[in-house]
Amino acid sequence: MIESFNRILDSVTGWIFEVLVQPAMYELGLMDWADDAIDWIEFGLFGIFSILVVYAVCRPLEAWRPVEPVTDRGAIRTDIVYTLLTRLGLLPLIAFVLLASLQAWWEGTVADSGFVPPTLENLIPGLREAPILAFFLYVVVLDFGEYWRHRFQHRFGWWWALHSIHHAQRQMTFWTDDRNHILDEIIGALWFGVIALLIGVPPGQFPLLVLITRLAESLSHANVRLSFGRIGERLVVSPRFHRLHHGILSTADHGKNYAVLFPVWDWIFGTADFRRDVFPRTGDPEAPEALATGGWLRQQFVGLKRMAGAIAGRSGT
Amino acid sequence: MRRLAACLILPLLLLARPAAADLIYVLNSGDSSISVLDAITREELRRIPALREVHHLVLAPGGRELLIADSGGNEIFFVDPASGEVRRRERISNPYHLDFSPDGRHLVIASLRRNQVDIYDAQGPTLLTRLRTPDKPSHMAFRPDGKVVYVTLQGSGTVIAVSLETREVLWEAPIGREPAGIVWHRGRLIVGIMGSDHFAVLNPETREVERQIPVGRGAHTIFAAPDGKALWATSRVQSRIAEIDPTTLEVRRIFDIPGGPDCIAFDPDGRLWATLRWAGRIARIDTRTGEYETIRVGRSPHGIFVQPRRAEN
Repeated sequence: MIESFNRILDSVTGWIFEVLVQPAMYELGLMDWADDAIDWIEFGLFGIFSILVVYAVCRPLEAWRPVEPVTDRGAIRTDIVYTLLTRLGLLPLIAFVLLASLQAWWEGTVADSGFVPPTLENLIPGLREAPILAFFLYVVVLDFGEYWRHRFQHRFGWWWALHSIHHAQRQMTFWTDDRNHILDEIIGALWFGVIALLIGVPPGQFPLLVLITRLAESLSHANVRLSFGRIGERLVVSPRFHRLHHGILSTADHGKNYAVLFPVWDWIFGTADFRRDVFPRTGDPEAPEALATGGWLRQQFVGLKRMAGAIAGRSGT
Repeated sequence: MRRLAACLILPLLLLARPAAADLIYVLNSGDSSISVLDAITREELRRIPALREVHHLVLAPGGRELLIADSGGNEIFFVDPASGEVRRRERISNPYHLDFSPDGRHLVIASLRRNQVDIYDAQGPTLLTRLRTPDKPSHMAFRPDGKVVYVTLQGSGTVIAVSLETREVLWEAPIGREPAGIVWHRGRLIVGIMGSDHFAVLNPETREVERQIPVGRGAHTIFAAPDGKALWATSRVQSRIAEIDPTTLEVRRIFDIPGGPDCIAFDPDGRLWATLRWAGRIARIDTRTGEYETIRVGRSPHGIFVQPRRAEN
């Protein structure tokens, strides 16, 4: 199934590149970015496909057993803008163009130091022959990293000023997953970069598995009264588990349930709340109204302003 | 009598048995893997897992080891070309394109994404010098005496000459928009100008472009046929493979092959095996007729190598 999925994705990507994109790049004098362009086409295609899959799975669930009625469609539309900008690759592409030279310099500097970044497969040679297992191990390690990044997002005032955009949503749906400040996304990419320096980046040949993890992340934000049961709740983050994290009494540094994919981290570090019948209202009562109901641009601006204020000591967490 | 007949026929049967097929190695840069194909059946015999991103490969002097560079995985695989067995791995910083100097003393590795050219002692390989270069060092060619290596810089539209004696950059010359493949040919350097439709012929003494060889938009790589009777060049935008006369440098024939032909390898019968970068396939081309067939491999196939095996039987 993975092979078939890859083949279809590859064929469509190749056709779009060869027929539409490459001729345009040639005319614009951008041929030295050809290899990168094909990666970005695949990113965008994969983004479209993942949005369709997430919608097909999550929307019926939300219609089936909603936690709360939809009263603010405007707020959901803003989340859709976030999703499209992120998953279709527009914002990541801008970041790539801006940071490509910086990345070359940084990687060159690391190389000059004599340090050759390892991969998990170097550290655990048996993984070489088991790429799918290697992929899962990367997911686990990166999820552990995401747990701590998330803890710090709530812990530090300046970081919370950015992350509170994500929490200000009172009409949480599966679209809310990508509701993040651009600067927060860049910090997240740098965080990932540091981890990658230590263990390498995950193998890239498993888009289907990436799709499953994305689906799980979106589902965890869905407006659905769904728990995974006594055991399941401890294995994978459920809509119930994550809604409790978004509850109005769970903002800033008194939160619970920080895990993104695997609740085990909350379990280990004492931040888990496994009450299976609790589906609180979401939102951040202390956030300005613009963060809840403003448009994308306004939320970006207010987020930056609040972060500057937090750094200057004008507000706490 | 019957036993005698069998004894007489047996040697003939042994002589008539099917010869071992050549092996085709294809680096699937988008799949983190290496496909090993049977050249006769065109079936994939095995797939060697790589770490992240395999692009180019080179046969070591003596032909006993095939070096496969995994740029994203910071690693070079040393493979037995006859069997596909991975003998060892070396941690190497971002190896993209690589080649041995003709005297076999140096291994030079270009790192496209880190703007570095590394010169290794081929025996180790042990890093001797790391040169910081302008944008995107891509492909390389050596002067036949093994004292100078020429590297195309994709991002800055130039070629640099690096002395392997002093390990310093000797000069840098403009060549055209986004240069890629490069080959030494009879005292000249022939360079694929990816941002244009031609190969540029550069005189390394005067550092001037003496002429252009038009092949089609997106001129990319060029390879000399082992018998010396032709140069074969690819263009990825117009999706062509061109045969060039090695004496006149005129284009003799052009084959239109969709899929973005990239690297080329030659089998003992003179057929071309080319990776089709955007199609996830390779092409097997009969150079006499121009007919070709394509074979499915992994995603974004890039480097390719033919290991002849018929001579062993």
